[in-house]
Amino acid sequence: MTELRELARRLLSEGTVNAVLGWEEGPRGARPAFVTTPEGADTLIFDHRCVHNLASYLSPRRPHLKRLGKVAMVLKPCDARAVAGLIRETQIPRDKVVLIGVRCGGVITDPDSTAPLTEATVADRCRGCPDREGHLADHTVGTAGPGFAGPSKRAQKIEELAAAPAEKRWAFWQSELEKCVRCHACRQVCPMCYCDRCLADKTQPRWIESSPHARGNMAWHVARAMHLAGRCVDCGECERVCPEGIPLGLITRKIAQVVSERYDFRPSDDPAVPAPVGTYRMDDPQEFIL
Amino acid sequence: MARIGVFVCHCGENIGRTVDCHGVAEACKDVPGVVHSVDYKYMCSDPGQQMVKNAIAEKGLTGVVVAACSPHMHEKTFRRATAGAGLNPFLCEMANVREHCSWIHEDREKATVKAVDITKTIIEKVKRNVPLNTIRIPVTRRALVIGGGIAGIQAALDIADGGREVILVEKGPSIGGHMSQLSETFPTLDCSQCILTPRMVEVYQHPRIKLYAYSEVESVEGYIGNFKVTVRRKARSVDEDKCNGCGACTQVCPNKKIPSEFDCGLGKRTAIYVPFPQAVPNLPTVDRNKCLLFMNRAKGRPDTCKKCADACAKGAIDFDQQDRLVTEDVGAIVVATGYQLYTIGKDQPKDNLKGYGEYGYGTIPDVIDGLQFERLASASGPTSGKILRPSDGKEPKRIVFLQCIGSRDPQKGMEYCSKICCMYVAKHTMLYHHKVHDGQATVFYMDIRAAGKGYEEFSRRAIEEEGAQYIRGRVSRMWREGDVIKILGFDTLEGEPIEMDADMVVLATAMRPQPGIDALAQKLSVSYDQHGFINEAHPKLRPVETNTAGIFVAGACQAPRDIPDAVAMASATASKVLGLFANEMLEREPTVACVNEANCAGCFHCERVCAYGAVEHKDIKDRAGNVVRVIAYVNPGVCQGCGTCQATCPSKSVELQGFTDEQIWGEIQALGV
Repeated sequence: MTELRELARRLLSEGTVNAVLGWEEGPRGARPAFVTTPEGADTLIFDHRCVHNLASYLSPRRPHLKRLGKVAMVLKPCDARAVAGLIRETQIPRDKVVLIGVRCGGVITDPDSTAPLTEATVADRCRGCPDREGHLADHTVGTAGPGFAGPSKRAQKIEELAAAPAEKRWAFWQSELEKCVRCHACRQVCPMCYCDRCLADKTQPRWIESSPHARGNMAWHVARAMHLAGRCVDCGECERVCPEGIPLGLITRKIAQVVSERYDFRPSDDPAVPAPVGTYRMDDPQEFIL
Repeated sequence: MARIGVFVCHCGENIGRTVDCHGVAEACKDVPGVVHSVDYKYMCSDPGQQMVKNAIAEKGLTGVVVAACSPHMHEKTFRRATAGAGLNPFLCEMANVREHCSWIHEDREKATVKAVDITKTIIEKVKRNVPLNTIRIPVTRRALVIGGGIAGIQAALDIADGGREVILVEKGPSIGGHMSQLSETFPTLDCSQCILTPRMVEVYQHPRIKLYAYSEVESVEGYIGNFKVTVRRKARSVDEDKCNGCGACTQVCPNKKIPSEFDCGLGKRTAIYVPFPQAVPNLPTVDRNKCLLFMNRAKGRPDTCKKCADACAKGAIDFDQQDRLVTEDVGAIVVATGYQLYTIGKDQPKDNLKGYGEYGYGTIPDVIDGLQFERLASASGPTSGKILRPSDGKEPKRIVFLQCIGSRDPQKGMEYCSKICCMYVAKHTMLYHHKVHDGQATVFYMDIRAAGKGYEEFSRRAIEEEGAQYIRGRVSRMWREGDVIKILGFDTLEGEPIEMDADMVVLATAMRPQPGIDALAQKLSVSYDQHGFINEAHPKLRPVETNTAGIFVAGACQAPRDIPDAVAMASATASKVLGLFANEMLEREPTVACVNEANCAGCFHCERVCAYGAVEHKDIKDRAGNVVRVIAYVNPGVCQGCGTCQATCPSKSVELQGFTDEQIWGEIQALGV
């Protein structure tokens, strides 16, 4: 933590950056923070409660960040995939952000929990995660725990659902998605959902009904899943922020699984690795083309 | 408020038979916005068009819906009529009640309901149409011809003689293609090289043809009238400017035992070689896979043999020559990459091809294919035109030809007919008869397909005057006993098995497109069929166009073709190219994509999926001139209106003019779903 604070202080005092985007201790646990003065660097923390994907703040359409000028961002290995995605999709220029990589051995799910990081409390997405540091980082600080072995419970649930007959799957998703209140928190928190004007907000024509009922809910979640196909970085934020506890990760992970099996693509923390959308390879499976 | 006119066509009986056209016109009168709705026997006729024009003038129409045939047929007709009455032509749309309705249904009542629905959807679309303007784009009046066989040569010469510059790209070291390998040609038996080589020389000497031999198309960008083509000029290891073609290098090359591609493996060549004496350009090429120096370099050993370089008085040999990439701007492209023969042996390039192991090709040396026989019969061939067996150099007294090897055989080969084999086998029997007077030629055939001027007479002559024995049937197995080839077959006319001895067997193998045609077709964005043949835009009415504007196809890369066909196609492409080059500007429909600049998030998924490279980056600046956003911009000259960007855009910020989301949505809503 001292290493992180010292680096942040140096970057701020040298004027390399105007702000550091990291975490601080808040009244309800760890929370994202913008530090703009060298003295403020002492409030920065990093531990297993720092679950948020800060890359969401890098979107060029976030006004607070625009106002701050050049920023440094504290980067978990998994968040590096989101930053790489934003660079790949020309949302941020690589040289406009300094990345402070922190070594990570897994996080828990609730930033306000006092529970230690154990086999029982670790976030499901951290199980089997091989990354201890973000390859994209300009600086890397801290020490990493040993990590946790897979497979995740979510993977088991996906397998279970895939094996179930279609009617059962349909019933499962109907009962899950009817809970949705269309608050769009999943969209707002997602680092890869950065459109100025979302498809769901269009009215001429209205593609997706905006009131929360079964048809519009299904359309929204299917559209969201399709838009994230091959782009979802598995930060788990959508599922974490959902006030209704809908297991959104099951959808995004299933899509990721399909993309990975069919097109041999996994979200990479290298911006130079092309995304499957718009990438044509001679050996792409194309049995659906007659 | 929209004022729409609906014009329902009977198309004689074509629509009227199954659809109550008057009923459709009446039903449309109730649609909000429709102020005029009539039916007529032939709307495309002059009086029919006049009805449209009069209604526009008299009723002040803001949109026209013609319920008739496919837009492919008469959209242009009615848009011209609309424009003639002073209304923007893109405010006129076709409702297809013929191909999509009357032709495919029998129940008159239901078909009429469907025709009303179809017309209503288009009424809703036209209400949302906006006036559009035709796009004009400049044309680069130079052509690229890919492939230097007879088709490519003919196309290049015709275009160049028409006054336009041509770039001719040939993969091999010389132009000439397969025709240069042939001995004599059916049905006139004139010497192939004698009629081809003057054309080759003409290409070389033509002031408007730039020949890139030993080169391949690396990449193609752009669109009709404005292609940018990168050509890889492969390293010959010989400086073209210095070499005078004396041939001293080929004589000293120590590696003389390389099977010659030109002689189909029956003759030998050196590692530095000119494929055949009349090669154009007459430049030697170092085969880097076979040259001792390069083989040593590949193993990390020092250069040893430099005999060719020592022998060259001009110092033209350059072992360090690299491939060069040259870029050419052209306005049209002719694809004429030709064919290869079906490989007969067990090793097949594709899983679905089984090969013909039972014929012993590759294991019995005296079983050869048609092109090999051409080389044996050719005066410039390895035997100087004598028909001799590859195994022992003896003259075969009994020769057997098998037709349809790999053709018309969906199980093991191709289901299509290779078209030329019946004729060239008849020619082979004659050439054989002319050279081996006491020999007997036997042909196993399925049918004799001799449709062409003088073709039937030619094949009858082979049978009736030149003593060829034709047996209708297939051969099931061949094996070697001593120096005799045993043949087991079945005579389907006699209905009995047949056993036969032969000294030599010639297999008339199927024509297939050149390997790598799929990669080239993808570079050019033209479609190809399951065999790899390039698809024409329309089998009857647009036989030399591809579905990509500005790219044309000639010769055997489109389907099995003989020389007259290939030449005719090549001249047809030349006429199309010259027609395209007749004007400095090209007019295009404005059905192109357009970006909503306020909504575009600049993710550039559209750029990645655009097959035409039409998407560019556009900077949005504030008043001080600082770039605040980078968004997508579609170049309307490049856009082909395929709509892939529209489908890909996550925020629906790009739309196809004339097919906007609102229009499509309106159409769907009209169906009441």
